Amino acid sequence: MGVAVGIDLGTTNSCAAVATPTGVEFILGSRAERIHPSVVAFPQAGGVVVGADAKRFRLTEPQHVIHSAKRFIGQNIRAPMVQLALTGIRYKVIEGPNQQPVAVLRDRRMTMPEISSHVLLHLKRCAERQLAQPISDAVITVPANFTDAQRQATKEAGRLAGLQVMRLINEPTAAALSYGFGRDRDQLICVFDFGGGTFDVSILRLQGEIFEVLASDGDFFLGGDDLDRALAETLAGECNTVLNFDPRPHPVLMMKLMMGAEAIKCHLSENDGAEGEIDGIDLPSGEVGSLPFSLSRGQFEQLIEGYINRTIEVTRNVLVQAHLTPQHISDVLCVGGSTRIPIVRQRLAELFDREPNYRINPDEVVAQGAAIQAGSLSGSIIAGTGMGVRDAVPTEAHSPLLFGGAPVPAGALKRPVLLDVNPATLSIQTAGGYAERLLDKNSPIPIERTRVFTTARDNQTRVEIACCRGESRRYEENEPLGTLVLEEIPAKPRGDAKIEVSFRVDADGILHVRAADAESGAAQEAHLQVFGAPVESAE
Amino acid sequence: MMWAQRVVAKRGGPPHELLEIRATATTDEAQKAFHKIARIAHPDLHRAALSAEELEVLNTAYAIVAGAYQAFRSLPPAREAPVPVTRSGPAPAASSAQSMSPKALLYYRKAELALKRGDLRSAVLQIKLAIAADPQSAFLRAALTEVESELAR
Repeated sequence: MGVAVGIDLGTTNSCAAVATPTGVEFILGSRAERIHPSVVAFPQAGGVVVGADAKRFRLTEPQHVIHSAKRFIGQNIRAPMVQLALTGIRYKVIEGPNQQPVAVLRDRRMTMPEISSHVLLHLKRCAERQLAQPISDAVITVPANFTDAQRQATKEAGRLAGLQVMRLINEPTAAALSYGFGRDRDQLICVFDFGGGTFDVSILRLQGEIFEVLASDGDFFLGGDDLDRALAETLAGECNTVLNFDPRPHPVLMMKLMMGAEAIKCHLSENDGAEGEIDGIDLPSGEVGSLPFSLSRGQFEQLIEGYINRTIEVTRNVLVQAHLTPQHISDVLCVGGSTRIPIVRQRLAELFDREPNYRINPDEVVAQGAAIQAGSLSGSIIAGTGMGVRDAVPTEAHSPLLFGGAPVPAGALKRPVLLDVNPATLSIQTAGGYAERLLDKNSPIPIERTRVFTTARDNQTRVEIACCRGESRRYEENEPLGTLVLEEIPAKPRGDAKIEVSFRVDADGILHVRAADAESGAAQEAHLQVFGAPVESAE
Repeated sequence: MMWAQRVVAKRGGPPHELLEIRATATTDEAQKAFHKIARIAHPDLHRAALSAEELEVLNTAYAIVAGAYQAFRSLPPAREAPVPVTRSGPAPAASSAQSMSPKALLYYRKAELALKRGDLRSAVLQIKLAIAADPQSAFLRAALTEVESELAR
């Protein structure tokens, strides 16, 4: 098997790497950058531009520059959070088949997996150029709380980019793998992953080669984008008062304010205050105005307090789910760009009563973990195949696997065993509108559980098995996943038929449902077709 | 591979048998057993060596054992029915702890905690208190018999 690449497909930025017997090599862009913006532009002039180059088109043609596609991938466009997120983007998204969001670019319509596949294809090409060999296998990371549909859509994006997706792994787990691999630790850690669009927190027990997730929770609609939007809204209000002009209906201006907000946010992570002006605001009078701003770190912290409170609340909650207290945790990993915000670190330090670990690189650690998993699955990291000699030379892209810089003894490493979990309880609907749980939240995956159900009416020959995701006891309060129909059940008095329902969650976190009549053996098996998921395409 | 075929054949059997531990094992022992299985039999470790069919059997076996581990360790978060102390498979819905009176349930939870600590004597006491609060529960009587016989050993 050839080299397999690990890809952190982020909301704002993506990063890719390959693991070798001596360390991790990052995939560089055309300017030797390790971080690739997850931005795809379809400029007027034609063609597709990805990464740092695509960002340039944000000000000239914001309606043709697609960013944050990860927020919409595998989502139902009618979901309220999706509708809210749509107010923060300047390209056009409409409802496509199966209620999936579809971007509209001039005469073209593109699904979110198609857009993400451009980012993946870009990384694949960079890797092929850098490693001088074709790349076909990849491990792609997803937020731990991604749903079945979001995972399927991410896999679809990989397939469209010509990648064989060996595995989807959860971002916090990848970070933990990068932190603990080859170090033979025995400890409990918390991974706090606060990225551009998503927030995850996982508690893991590291024991030698075993990486066991004890509990995981999060919010796939909470990230740096939301902080930028909150600040941009404030700037827009300011603009209305100072310049007497409301920029909100104007995509180019709002994009300018969003970019300004992002810059101010980053500046305030290093400084106590930010002052200046945003230039080039086209006023209706034809003049070009500029918007002065002055913001202290304290004011910014006040603005984003609600979001930060939510992350801390989720973290407390996940500790309870793991039956632990903050004192049990021996290290807190800060992952994702938003953990650079000082107030986030401060609140984490207060919660755990220890300084969080921010020596790790918050932007690269996830890709590094994905690369280790890819190397382990393909065998290259263990068997020492491929690129050993090349890596003896330190390069811009190379990062030693071990913090101490000690080389990894070839062949001596045990392959890591990742015991990840199912992020939400999976149930089926039973008589009376209840949800009967088959797989609990935080169960280890891959997992299979079978339960026997029966018929509710005499001579019933057909049952519909409605599946849902969520923690409520009531079916309708959970998120529906789809329905499986089992037919040709032998007619019997009610309660006599035995219908075995199996739920299986594979290592990618994707659910497979099987229902069978225990006597006739008639079986139905299905990937559930959920709203928002890409429609099965003919190959 | 023989292990995997054995597990698949036992599909739906009692969780402790699938994990190859005693029915009265603690959750810590269950975790150790599961980790041991994961270290040896996790499908990711055998991708290269096995054929597609063999890998599918191993995948299934591993998933079944993970299901058994989950069934075994599910401790009662707030509203969930406690796992029977006997742990001899999924509780039959009608006679399970769900039908216990709230007061009895409280004692039963304490019994579970005592069992987790390995303190069988306290567990017996707590189950007896639970029976006093809910004398009708066949489930509690079964649990008492199980723990008492464990204590006698």
